[in-house]
Amino acid sequence: MTIALKSVGSRQLKNSLARWLITLGGVSVLFTLVLIFLYLLYVIKPVFESAKIEPVHSFALNNQEKVLATGLDELQELAYTIDEQGRIQYFALKASNNVSVGEKAFDLELLDQPLKRVISGHGDKKLLVTQDNNIQLVAPRFQATYDTGTREIIPNITYPLGEEFIAVDEQGVALQHIAFAMNDERAVFVAFTQDGRLIKTNLLADDDFSYDPAYSIEYQEITLDSKRVDEVKVTPDAAMAFVRSADRVFVFDLSTDDNELKATIIPQLEQNRTKPQQLTAMALLSGSSSVLLGESDGTVSQWFEVATDNGREFKKIRSFDVSNTEAIKQIYTEQYRKSFYTLTAKGEMGAFYTTSENDLWRGSFTSKVPESFVISPRANGLLMLNDSQLSLYSVKNDHPEVTWSALWQQVWYEGYPEPDYIWQSTSGSDDFEAKFSLVPISFGTMKAALYAMLFAVPIALAAAIYTAYFMTPELRKKVKPTIEIMEALPTVILGFLAGLWLAPIVEHNLPAIAMLLIALPATVFFTAFAWHKLPKEIKAKVPDTWAPLILIPTLCLAAYCSFALSPWMEAAFFGGDVRQYITNDLGIDFDQRNALVVGIAMGFAVIPTIFSMAEDAIFSVPKHLTSGSLALGATPWQTLIKVVLLTASPGIFSAIMMGLGRAVGETMIVLMATGNTPVLDWSLFQGMRTLSANIAVEMPESEVGSSHYRILFLAAFVLFVFTFIFNTLAEFVRQRLREKYSSL
Amino acid sequence: MITVSPQNIANSESKIDLANLSPEQKALDINNLNLFYGEKQALNDISMAIPKGQVTAFIGPSGCGKSTLLRCINRMNDLVDGCRIEGQINLHGQNIYEKHVDVAALRRKVGMVFQRPNPFPKSIYENVVYGLRIMGENNRRVLDEAVEKSLKAAALWNEVKDRLHESALGLSGGQQQRLVIARAIAIEPEVLLLDEPTSALDPISTLTIEELINDLKKQFTVVIVTHNMQQAARVSDQTAFMYMGDLIEYSDTNTLFTTPAKKKTEDYITGRYG
Repeated sequence: MTIALKSVGSRQLKNSLARWLITLGGVSVLFTLVLIFLYLLYVIKPVFESAKIEPVHSFALNNQEKVLATGLDELQELAYTIDEQGRIQYFALKASNNVSVGEKAFDLELLDQPLKRVISGHGDKKLLVTQDNNIQLVAPRFQATYDTGTREIIPNITYPLGEEFIAVDEQGVALQHIAFAMNDERAVFVAFTQDGRLIKTNLLADDDFSYDPAYSIEYQEITLDSKRVDEVKVTPDAAMAFVRSADRVFVFDLSTDDNELKATIIPQLEQNRTKPQQLTAMALLSGSSSVLLGESDGTVSQWFEVATDNGREFKKIRSFDVSNTEAIKQIYTEQYRKSFYTLTAKGEMGAFYTTSENDLWRGSFTSKVPESFVISPRANGLLMLNDSQLSLYSVKNDHPEVTWSALWQQVWYEGYPEPDYIWQSTSGSDDFEAKFSLVPISFGTMKAALYAMLFAVPIALAAAIYTAYFMTPELRKKVKPTIEIMEALPTVILGFLAGLWLAPIVEHNLPAIAMLLIALPATVFFTAFAWHKLPKEIKAKVPDTWAPLILIPTLCLAAYCSFALSPWMEAAFFGGDVRQYITNDLGIDFDQRNALVVGIAMGFAVIPTIFSMAEDAIFSVPKHLTSGSLALGATPWQTLIKVVLLTASPGIFSAIMMGLGRAVGETMIVLMATGNTPVLDWSLFQGMRTLSANIAVEMPESEVGSSHYRILFLAAFVLFVFTFIFNTLAEFVRQRLREKYSSL
Repeated sequence: MITVSPQNIANSESKIDLANLSPEQKALDINNLNLFYGEKQALNDISMAIPKGQVTAFIGPSGCGKSTLLRCINRMNDLVDGCRIEGQINLHGQNIYEKHVDVAALRRKVGMVFQRPNPFPKSIYENVVYGLRIMGENNRRVLDEAVEKSLKAAALWNEVKDRLHESALGLSGGQQQRLVIARAIAIEPEVLLLDEPTSALDPISTLTIEELINDLKKQFTVVIVTHNMQQAARVSDQTAFMYMGDLIEYSDTNTLFTTPAKKKTEDYITGRYG
């Protein structure tokens, strides 16, 4: 008795142990899936958050002098002010051992003359204009030292064009407006003088400005058809000057000595406005090809040159309604990104991103235009001076370029003739703007999957039908596992073969490939027909099992003939080179690694998946249904079409959907055989870039936490959603079909 | 021991001489039929004539070859690999195993109902007209008429006339089997083969099918394979007893069950084996 009881106890223990283990396994699979999903969302989420601007510190300046300019260092440790007396004073923005926030840390003299104006240039350069109209260029910089054992930041003033005054106007007349741009070879000043001349002054470096400030000077006058100038700007590459005058902006081409008037932008003419508007502000967007114009009705518009039928013209690309009532007083742009800040007379502030048309932030900290407004070099802080109060604000605005509409809709990028879907995440150039449209890569995924399915579905289904329904059991026992083993073939091998071996073959034998499409099925039919007509005596010698193998030599022969005829066809019909013919005569772009190659290679990878499931579905159609149909006088073919395929339809459908899911998620083949060009084109002869290949290619290069990184996670999420949709749809349809057609 | 009372035996009054049937009386004539599965012989030299317009039952223990013989009549054995047949089965004096016989056409003349109800996963209507559709008949009126006629003949019309376009898989087992019979008779065959048609059904459905068989013989020649001796006794006019691939005894049902000529037959019907 005791033994029996013990065995019952251990059985129960095993039973409950097994139950718990199985439950644990199931729950942990679900949990992992949810975790992956949540992690993706967690990484993606910041991309869609709007900007945050919050005050950090604010302190009063005790000096009596009028402050003409302010600035701060990259890490927001020190802020400086340049006052009328030519002094530059530094204030701590971060508390450290010896200074507290707002305390004066350094006080240096820039110039021993009183200043009239300070003009900020690109980067950290400041142009000083003295009361006597002398001009001097300085660059307040910062240096980190570790002399005391801790990191200390020390100001350092450099004079990029030497410590001598620069004679911008040959005639020495006072300047009303001045703008400049500078690189290692030259510095260009464009100024409007008190006596109404628009002048351009070229300072050509004797050697290189980065270590030798010696230069020679060149004076030119620009013909301006206006007596009034409100503002002058020069692009950082010194290619163009923008001169704002009342309701219009004159654009001059500075690249030649003619300084030609390139265009006149008159926003009034663009729209049918009820009352005439004045231009009240102008700024150049980072990247130096766009100009932002602020108008008296509170709108800001972006303009850049677009190639049109009449050559390159400035066009209004987009506009932002910043304020309903107030004129735009100032526009400030970030140094590296396409963001800008606007200020109205009442101190209303707005932050925007041009390309994504993203309205990032609106609010106000002051009731008038601040005396000084500086965006920190990393665009993560703002320094404002208002009523002798210097205030630092933190800006949290990491992903202004990403909006849902920028990801999925056409965007008009700088320099493009029209809005378009573009994926181009990196470039060699610094002022390159990343273009993140998920449309071309989602499209590429669909295109690759579609062509693969076009190739795979007919072959896989025909093979499944034949194997399950017509093949003798002995041969089926060998064929089915063989095809299923193909599924285990590493896709990297398929991709490698497709890219390096198949793609050149396809390219050089296009007529052969086209002929194969017709020749192979035709050969199958012809061989079957010939076999059917063959005398019984010969047929009897070949066992039924091996009869289909007769196809192998005939198919090989057909393939050989196609390839042998290919050069001849090429010479006879396509002028010797099909590739040339396609590109030149048909006007279709041809990539060696194209949808045709991918369709074949990925189709090859998908065939076993579809075949295996569809074959199972067809084979498991109950024999009594087939017999029932045959007993009613149906031919095997009629039975197949009307009963077998109908009954197997849920299984066949899910086989196709599983194949599609596999094709959508497949990475290695598309990575190696598509050329990875993110183009939006259905053409059979062009490549594509898929979501999966895109992630594989770019993930190693993307900076963790950047917009690019997060968008790649978003691409992964989209891929996840794609496969999720396909599988859910497949399951849903399969259930419906099964309710309807599954038999007993 | 099974006792069969004369009242149970159908049509006992219209006796015919099985040994000397006139050609008009014969529906099928099986001559020296041998069947091999590979090397194994499953039917040994079977010869018998099946009379027209009557119900003939094949009985015998499992594996005796009765279903195999039945399947020979519409050449369903062709689908079995390694199956070889010698001898003749004549339908209208024509050997169905001749070279140029169209098997599909033969099966239209010799319909078959299987052990398990096997309706197609289609509507009741489409199941019944299946045979007509594959013959190329798509005229709505013809199909409608055939459906009504066949379902009435299969005693199913009243139960399903309001849901002809619902799935056949929603019917009960007995209804499904009658649907399958309706499907078989919709193409108006001459001979109807029933392969243990009630073995998967409950007693009430079995009774319905048996009554149906009695009606069917007015129109068709019915050949039925059954395990159930009472069923053979109830529905058939002639009974053939088979054992180990041999036709042991073939006579009118009454004679076979009351005064069997062979010892083996008597042993079987008295329940000594099988």
